[in-house]
Amino acid sequence: MPDKRTTLANSSLLVLLLLAVITSLSMGTVQVPPPDVLQALMGNADPMTAFVVNELRLSRVVAGLLSGAALAMAGCLMQTLARNRLATPGIIGIDNAATAFAVASVVGVGLSLAPSAMALAGAACATAIAFGLAGANGTRGYRFIVAGIGIGAIAGAVTQVMLSRVAIDAANAAYPWTVGSLNARSGNSVLVLAIGLAAGYAILMLISRALNTLQFSDAVAIALGTRLKATRILGLALSVLLTGLAVSVCGPVGLIALLAPELARTICRPGKVPLTASALAGATFMVAADLLGRTLFSPLEIPVGIITAIVGSPYLLWILLKPSRRSLT
Amino acid sequence: MSPAQTATLAADSITLAHRQFTVAENLSVTLPTGKVTAIVGPNGCGKSTLLNGLARIHAPAKGSVLLDGKDIHRLPSKDVARKLALLPQDNTAPEGLTVADLVRFGRQPHQGWMKQWSNDDQQAFDHAVQAADVAGLAERALDTLSGGQRQRAWIAMAVAQQTPLLLLDEPTSALDLGHQIEVFELIRTLSGQGKTIAMVVHDLASACRYADHMVAMKAGKIIEEGTPAEIVSPELVQDLYGVSCDLIQDPATGSPLLVNVRRNSNFSAA
Repeated sequence: MPDKRTTLANSSLLVLLLLAVITSLSMGTVQVPPPDVLQALMGNADPMTAFVVNELRLSRVVAGLLSGAALAMAGCLMQTLARNRLATPGIIGIDNAATAFAVASVVGVGLSLAPSAMALAGAACATAIAFGLAGANGTRGYRFIVAGIGIGAIAGAVTQVMLSRVAIDAANAAYPWTVGSLNARSGNSVLVLAIGLAAGYAILMLISRALNTLQFSDAVAIALGTRLKATRILGLALSVLLTGLAVSVCGPVGLIALLAPELARTICRPGKVPLTASALAGATFMVAADLLGRTLFSPLEIPVGIITAIVGSPYLLWILLKPSRRSLT
Repeated sequence: MSPAQTATLAADSITLAHRQFTVAENLSVTLPTGKVTAIVGPNGCGKSTLLNGLARIHAPAKGSVLLDGKDIHRLPSKDVARKLALLPQDNTAPEGLTVADLVRFGRQPHQGWMKQWSNDDQQAFDHAVQAADVAGLAERALDTLSGGQRQRAWIAMAVAQQTPLLLLDEPTSALDLGHQIEVFELIRTLSGQGKTIAMVVHDLASACRYADHMVAMKAGKIIEEGTPAEIVSPELVQDLYGVSCDLIQDPATGSPLLVNVRRNSNFSAA
């Protein structure tokens, strides 16, 4: 069925994302007017402008865009699997575990060896442990969330211990990991994230019908022909993959996964899991938050994770406190 | 537009358990084709568990559920969903979902990522909303409907699946008398169109009135099976529910009618 409301929501988010991207490319210590940004992207600008836009800023904006989209999609997916709006990878402790593994590689070997692989390994471990501790209920119910919160706390503590026990240079090198920043990204991680995001998105679109039925009770989903176990395992694996790869680029900016799907769910038509809208909203939030962090107290830079925490925490409290009759709580 | 094909559903000595706790043991039952079967019994006797077993929601620890003679858990889940629809007891829906959205979900087993909404889907949709009398409510959100309307919307979703088999778990619980009759008559109409139906019913009187075939369960076992007129007796009612009653024939329909129901035989209405 054609769905006007969701199409409209997605197009609006796309426009907002483009605005955020162009503003991000134009603002900074050197101001580039938006028309010149477009010229530079098309390769018609003077060398100085082209350098600022294409060399200095574009890669950072792309990194933000991809990681924001991946985190938000992973969040939307995990919320659907757990049927709980609080069950995002950040809260389940996946972000923290991915960070702990990545930091371990930085402080252990002195440099960041394959952060994508390390972060993924951490994300997978945390999820496996949370899943194991949750028992027969799997991703359903509070045990999974409570187990996840515990694992996240342990992983956070391990990261702090590692940072306090190593030489100051190694700790400095690992610091951006712990707050969430687009400063420390490596080109390779961004490339791996781009590939993972494209593959993940394609698979999610293929199983979107099955995911939609997970919004009902298990019995209804099974009666509609959904292969419950297979869908859940695939969804969980993709959520872990997207989170791990995103954390390897931007660190634990977990609140994106909470904020973006919430916005997407508000503006899209009910009944469908708003994966595309979540991805677009997440990308927009991340690019906008990074822009704020770069420009607000320039030349001082505030890591993007701190901006999203300042904006996101009150929002999280609001979700928890507002009277709600939503079925997804 | 009744379902083109028929299908048979049977439980072959199945044992159903929640973890280590056996709820029902060694149950065998075959749903009579084209008939309405009511599963009755006291609370906790395993009737919903049996229905969920038949609907492949609950996998049996032993034995097998056979759909057209094949083990239902070995068949592709989409194929099963084209033959068997279920109206479960827990039917929560996402906030803001409209009746039309819900009924469209019933077409999901007939769709694929290459096969989008088709003419067949639209026809089945139109037929379902008409059959369940929710056409006028199509654009309403489920959470704004009355209990009876919401239940009809869920039945419309199951009807849109166009399955020869339909299983319902307490379809009238929490409905008032008018809405109960509405739902039971809808079930009779669907049966008249050739569907094979099984339902868990709390109320023995309604089961007598609306079912062709009855399965009486107690403590995880099937103790009687047959038409209501054959099996319902004061002894069965005493055995199932621990109450005494007298039976007369409903002058309007001929089905057994429970009267003078009381906790023990010494009590007199006078």
